[in-house]
Amino acid sequence: MSYMIVMDLKSSEDILEMLDSFEKIVLFGDSGCAQMCDVGGILQLEDMEDFLTGYGKKVLGYIFVEGGMCDANALKQEIDANMEMIEEADAFLIQACGVATQAVVELLPEKEAFPAVDSKFLGVMPERYHHDERCSMCGECVLHLTGGICPISRCAKGLLNGPCGGSMDGMCERDPDTECVWQLIYDRLKKLDKLDNIKRIWEMKDWSLARGPRSIVHEET
Amino acid sequence: MIVLLVNLEENRTLVETRLKSLFERGEFVVTGEVGPPHGANHQLVIERTRLVKDYCDAINITDNVRGIPTMSSMTCSYYVLEAGAEPVMQMSARDRNRILFESELYGAYAMGIRNILFMTGDHTLLGSHPQTKMVYDLDSIQALGLARHLMGGTDLAGDKLEGTPNYYLGATFNPYADPMEMHVWRVEKKRDAGAQFFQTQAIYDTSRLEEFMKGIRGYKVKVLTGIIPLKGPKMAAFMNRQIPGIKIPEEFIERLEKAGSGLKGAEKRSAVRGEGLQIAKETIEAVKKIPGVNGVHIMGVGWEESIPEIVKGTGLHPRPK
Ligand code: SF4
Ligand code: SF4
Repeated sequence: MSYMIVMDLKSSEDILEMLDSFEKIVLFGDSGCAQMCDVGGILQLEDMEDFLTGYGKKVLGYIFVEGGMCDANALKQEIDANMEMIEEADAFLIQACGVATQAVVELLPEKEAFPAVDSKFLGVMPERYHHDERCSMCGECVLHLTGGICPISRCAKGLLNGPCGGSMDGMCERDPDTECVWQLIYDRLKKLDKLDNIKRIWEMKDWSLARGPRSIVHEET
Repeated sequence: MIVLLVNLEENRTLVETRLKSLFERGEFVVTGEVGPPHGANHQLVIERTRLVKDYCDAINITDNVRGIPTMSSMTCSYYVLEAGAEPVMQMSARDRNRILFESELYGAYAMGIRNILFMTGDHTLLGSHPQTKMVYDLDSIQALGLARHLMGGTDLAGDKLEGTPNYYLGATFNPYADPMEMHVWRVEKKRDAGAQFFQTQAIYDTSRLEEFMKGIRGYKVKVLTGIIPLKGPKMAAFMNRQIPGIKIPEEFIERLEKAGSGLKGAEKRSAVRGEGLQIAKETIEAVKKIPGVNGVHIMGVGWEESIPEIVKGTGLHPRPK
């Protein structure tokens, strides 16, 4: 099992369209979430190079960050070590999450960086190529009350006083392949002898905590 | 129709609707449902209301069922009043945040709408607008709590209201939903949040309802059993597949098929529909005997004409004054 920001590669049409007026491209990827989601590992950078070359682009090379592009120092070091290539490039294509693309924008503001992927959710990978959502960063975690199972990201309606009337045989009304998370929460709390947690009414949630732009300044200790 | 009794301590007993007083008199209540127009023609609401109003004590207006946009439930409820009947306005938590809930609740009261029924709302992926951004700022229980809060004279911020509304609040439950224990607790939660009456999902096999009613015994709430007459085996199969929380037993589907077998055209149609009405009537007779059931809620789902038939056919007509 792995845990990660889950991403999906954009369509080839979308990628070609955003790179339309650029010829010399540098690809970015990493061995963290990007590789685990099969969107920005070395293999996918090679596939992307073949694809773009087939459409008349010139791929100058890769910036591949071991660990993850979220390691700002590692990213900077890779960029510095490849400055010549960066300077020659017309644009950057980032095969990693939306934060990674914006990190490149901030580090190299003279040129444009484009997202090759859609960042989907925070989730798990029970097996390769399979990802399930686990957290939508709602800003106020309630896992301590639900036996460690998230109703916000895993209930199709984000209900706090679930389950809804569409929950049947353990499955969600939305589609036959998704479990009703409120059934899972019920089963788990029953085992833990903590059903009282969900017997009472849960008050309205402060959704302002879930909306961006969010910033946090931790006090130094 | 709406009598305001003043000077009662409990805020929520201030309002008297026909629905509420019939419950209190111990009548076996009949409510019906009118589907709002899929467009801007309000005359349809008036026509559909006239068709059923002598057979129902109050008329529900649904709220964008399955996320398919129809005329607003508040507007339709107003036309139900205009047509001389008492509305039950449905409000789903799917399409409104707390601001719009408050705003519409003020407006509904101003227009004379008193019975309000809260529901979670179907997932939009089941309807015609699956790309919609669903709201779910509140769930149905929190929305009930919000309505009751407004009856205390302040809004959620604690600011005093210019005119305090009063409602007779309702909610829903589905005896077929799992886990049953949790759904029984949710009835209690809804009652504590302000719900005084409940409408159930459409009932076919009555054994789950019977069991559920035992679970909520002592909760002191009024319960209307949901009835949807089946137009035919195709509709039944569609509902089993597409309508959340519905369970129509095979045996009923077979009865509908059998009723139409060997027949064609209009003859077949009327035989099959007749069987659908028969099933509805049998269900009503069965739920009448279940302790705690206070009436039925008949949902025509585009077949409003079925409501008078069913009500007459079960000896529930004429309706009490
Ligand atoms: S409750 Fe909020 S923070 Fe906690 S796991 Fe769920 S979405 Fe994430
Ligand atoms: S069936 Fe369960 S998971 Fe699905 S929307 Fe309802 S409560 Fe949420």
